[in-house]
Amino acid sequence: MLQLERITRAYELGGERAGVFGVTLEVPKGCLAVLAGPSGSGKTTLLQLAGLLDVPDEGEVRLGGEAVSGLAEQARCDLRLRRLGFVFQAFNLVPVLSALENVMLPLQLQGVAEGEARTRAEAALERVGLSDRRHHRPGQLSGGQQQRAAIARALAPDPLLVLADEPTASLDHAHGGPLMDLMVELAQERGVTFLVASHDPAVIARAHRVFRLADGRLVGEERT
Amino acid sequence: MILARLALRNLLRQRRRTALTLMVIVAGFLALSLAGGFMAQTFQGLSDAAIRGGLGHLQVLPPGALEGDEAQSLEKALPDGEALAARLRQDPAVAEVLPRIQFMGLLSSGPKSVAFLGTAVDPALEPRFMATAEAMEGGAKAPGGAGSRWLAADPAAREVLLGTGLARALGASVGSSLTLMSTTRDGALNAVDVDVVGLQDLGLRELNDRFLTVSLATADQLLDAAQARSRLSVVLRRPQSTAAEQARFQTLLPGTSVKPWFELASFYRQVKLLYFAIFGFLGLVLFLVVLLATANTLLMSVMERVREFGVLRAMGLQPRQLLKLLQWEGAFLGLLGSALGLAATLLLRAGLNALHLVMPAPPGTSHGYELNIHFVPLVYFIVALGLQATLQVSALFPGIKAARLRIVEALRHV
Repeated sequence: MLQLERITRAYELGGERAGVFGVTLEVPKGCLAVLAGPSGSGKTTLLQLAGLLDVPDEGEVRLGGEAVSGLAEQARCDLRLRRLGFVFQAFNLVPVLSALENVMLPLQLQGVAEGEARTRAEAALERVGLSDRRHHRPGQLSGGQQQRAAIARALAPDPLLVLADEPTASLDHAHGGPLMDLMVELAQERGVTFLVASHDPAVIARAHRVFRLADGRLVGEERT
Repeated sequence: MILARLALRNLLRQRRRTALTLMVIVAGFLALSLAGGFMAQTFQGLSDAAIRGGLGHLQVLPPGALEGDEAQSLEKALPDGEALAARLRQDPAVAEVLPRIQFMGLLSSGPKSVAFLGTAVDPALEPRFMATAEAMEGGAKAPGGAGSRWLAADPAAREVLLGTGLARALGASVGSSLTLMSTTRDGALNAVDVDVVGLQDLGLRELNDRFLTVSLATADQLLDAAQARSRLSVVLRRPQSTAAEQARFQTLLPGTSVKPWFELASFYRQVKLLYFAIFGFLGLVLFLVVLLATANTLLMSVMERVREFGVLRAMGLQPRQLLKLLQWEGAFLGLLGSALGLAATLLLRAGLNALHLVMPAPPGTSHGYELNIHFVPLVYFIVALGLQATLQVSALFPGIKAARLRIVEALRHV
């Protein structure tokens, strides 16, 4: 599903060279893979490169076998819109929209008719157990509920790959665990591929595959 | 439509800021629309004054009448003016033709003599189409003007109406007997005794000091005019077709010069230019204020939503769609501001007009006028259009800034 081939992306941080260097990895379909490592190890940088939010200095990102990192900005936008889903540490729901409208947003940006978008968004919210809160705005939802809405938003367009950056970092254990269980279920039941950046042991424990990073380099890979 | 909905929600998110921005737009709309209504009143007043002051909608003149020294005698005249007038009256576009003679000479009262500029008119037709008779309302209130009346239609009557300044210079009043002296078409000196039947306040001091009005019959006797007339004032049935009729009549009447009123009313043209310059500058300043205020609002809104824009871009929103989102916000501000501005304009206009405020006399004129700000939908439309364009321009820079955000940096923004 996702292949990163000798990916390098370097930048200056506090006068030192940081980033990721020559990383190669592969995430198969329906797999929940975790990029693990301490802060500054390059997890988020790699996630952003895999999510086409940034362009590697060297190497290639392949999605479904197709080389995508060299595509023009418009094509990358289109791929993100139709093939990728994102879940952020700070949830990042649009505050002026309700949970339902947030989930409908990527569908409507794709040009899906409002009625169909509503049906699909309601189904996605149902799947994450948030139907009863669908008309609430993000400010009226708890952290766990917001992250569930964010997952529903990422899943509603039926993406090939969902990228999650520290999805449990803003949640306590009581909310983080069920959220990871949900992602594992989605991967197993619906074949959704997840690439998660996290240093949370609870997340790593649930992963099908763990890629360990240190100082921007891949230092280990574990399969369960 | 999702972008439009997002834009509207974003405006509602910062209600106080949006309200302040709307107030700036409303103030701009209000100022420009009221100024436009005031200008329309002024232009209407001046055009009425010019048309009904004797020009009519069209003037038929002898060729070259406006070149060189403007002749105040029948030296340059339409030799068959009355016949030409009769012919023109047959035209279906013409409501009436008013022949006029313009002349000059000396007006004597005993040992006193004053130079005058005279106009001879048809006493029967003139009050029906021109405001000359209305000028007597002011004249009747002037010293010596009591009992003022219009010229008698009787061709045998030898009567004169004097400008208030001219009457004062001669010590004349209604009932005084004076002598008009001028030269005939042949150049001979001639004089006619006339009775003062009224005084006129023509609105301009310079005119009041020199101007008098007599009947065409009186002028005919004084100048030996016969059929000759200085000019014909043509009143059209459809004033809005003045320009088209001018071209047609010019073709129909070779050997004459046909001019529309607005080419001859130099005061009207000068005031119009002045107003356009003054209110144009005022408009420019107001548009600039609106531009800066709204650009500031939208830019602040962008700076507060950097992370949100990063998320939208990560989700696949194209840079041009972010530009469009900001354009929608500008569009809503403009539409709402113009709608509120229009409502405020109509309310304030009604209030101001109801007060019957009297404006001071404009420079060079002798009396003020009541403020009556006109209802001018075209002005409202143009102001709304201008403001809308300003809003779209003001949304451009914040939109470009948003569109140029690097996603990874925007997502890190705190």
